[in-house]
Amino acid sequence: MFDTTMISLKSKRRATAFASFILFIAVLSEGKIYAAAVSVGEDISVRLLSEEVHNKGWIVFCARSDKGDWDLFLCRPDGNASHNITRTPESSEAAPQFSRDGRRLLFRRLPREEQIDGNRYGTQGALVMANSDGTGAEVFGENGEYPWASWSPDGKQIACLSIKGVSFVDIASRQVIRRQDRKGFFQQLTWSPDSQWLCGVANSFGTGWSVARMNALTGQTHAVSLVNCCTPDWFDDGRHLIFSNRPLGQKANDGYGWTQLWMADAEGTRRELIYAEEGRHAYGGHVSPDDKYVIFTGNMQENGDTGNVGTPMGLMRLADMPIVGGSDGEARSMYPDAKSGPVLKLPVGWEPCWTFVEIEIDAGAARPAKGSDRNERR
Amino acid sequence: MSKGKWINLTFAMIVLNGLMGLSCRKESNPADSTGQDPNVTSMASIEVTARLTEIPEGAIFKRELYNYATVLKYDVLKVHRGQVAAETIYVGHYNPFKPRSEAADKQVPGIGGTLTSFRSGQIHRMAMEVPIDDYFMGGIIHKYFGKFDGPVYWAVWTNEVTK
Repeated sequence: MFDTTMISLKSKRRATAFASFILFIAVLSEGKIYAAAVSVGEDISVRLLSEEVHNKGWIVFCARSDKGDWDLFLCRPDGNASHNITRTPESSEAAPQFSRDGRRLLFRRLPREEQIDGNRYGTQGALVMANSDGTGAEVFGENGEYPWASWSPDGKQIACLSIKGVSFVDIASRQVIRRQDRKGFFQQLTWSPDSQWLCGVANSFGTGWSVARMNALTGQTHAVSLVNCCTPDWFDDGRHLIFSNRPLGQKANDGYGWTQLWMADAEGTRRELIYAEEGRHAYGGHVSPDDKYVIFTGNMQENGDTGNVGTPMGLMRLADMPIVGGSDGEARSMYPDAKSGPVLKLPVGWEPCWTFVEIEIDAGAARPAKGSDRNERR
Repeated sequence: MSKGKWINLTFAMIVLNGLMGLSCRKESNPADSTGQDPNVTSMASIEVTARLTEIPEGAIFKRELYNYATVLKYDVLKVHRGQVAAETIYVGHYNPFKPRSEAADKQVPGIGGTLTSFRSGQIHRMAMEVPIDDYFMGGIIHKYFGKFDGPVYWAVWTNEVTK
């Protein structure tokens, strides 16, 4: 097993050496000391974060391949060891999700010429299921079938969201086991780790885009966050949600504002800022399996710029929240006590998902590590 | 080519153009001043002529990347087909910042109309379905949420009435 303790000690010694060097330079030269020290300090903190997450499993995301289509990629949480695991020039793959045990993947496969649509990507193309390394891919249905599919905690079912309602499908038999009314839910359905709830985006709470939860058995619904919210996902504890939120009243971006990452308890009674950045929308927030880190995507384009190449992803510790990134601006004024980092810059991609399960990557093909039985918390 | 053949060719071209005009898609036929056209009188299950009473602030805005519907309030002037629940109805329109002729897309196909922009006080002839949730799945701007009982209709075809 990789010894993270030793890495931490070595890193601290390097950090100490760097700091000492900086102090020495500071004694010799005055004017530019502060800026240099801050810059080096930030670099050190990002490096420490990178080393901290390096061996914590794998992140899957979609990105433009060198053939111009969208493929799925695996990379280490520090952004290294990126591998294309679909390599399908004739089609594009998007919106990957690891099963909760980390051994399986589901995603959408759509024609190469079709642009990924931020409104309906969960309905585009066909649902595909595969091993977590991308091998054994099997098309599960026809184009448009099983929309907004989300894994059950045990990986044996998917919950799907269509205009007709929410359906719970047994994967082995492909039979619909249950249905319930969607009650205004219309996109980005996610089944909670404790199997009790679904979350998604709804229009039934008086605003266009609310993040809400629905009881998976009774269908009872509750709003979590009401205005300009989307891309919700569950914390592993099943009691909190992460979501995107574009607060009202912003003057930046010609009065439209910038979308931020927020979290709330499942009752929606306590909402907190995780990440904001002047000049960038933050979407697609996903929490690590141990609820300690967040990965997200964001861009100047509100949809993550899927019409082009996507956008750099980011990773941060929840313990460092709130963080306001980028240059000074309205967000910094609103949250003057927020930290400025560290935020680890990850490869260009879209809608990432994280597993702690080890996946063996061979040249030419990735495959799941033998003996990886569960999504262990590191 | 002889003069006679030129005449015949010209006549044939006129006839051909006339036939092409008849076979054009319904969408290109302009509605008359009453808003009547083949689409609004045949599509969906409900057809009304109604006055748009107001456009609440924030109900219509341009948003290129994310689609939505907005709910607008109408006073019904005449029911042509089907039934409506009350004299005042609430109707959802898809991406209302676009001319109706440009509103249909991959997410919501099969809608349209001659209306180019929404203005308070206009009279619209609409083919509609009900309730909106059975026909549209997306963000809905609903400034009247919680302020009335009854369904929200879904506008399929919307023509402006000028007379």
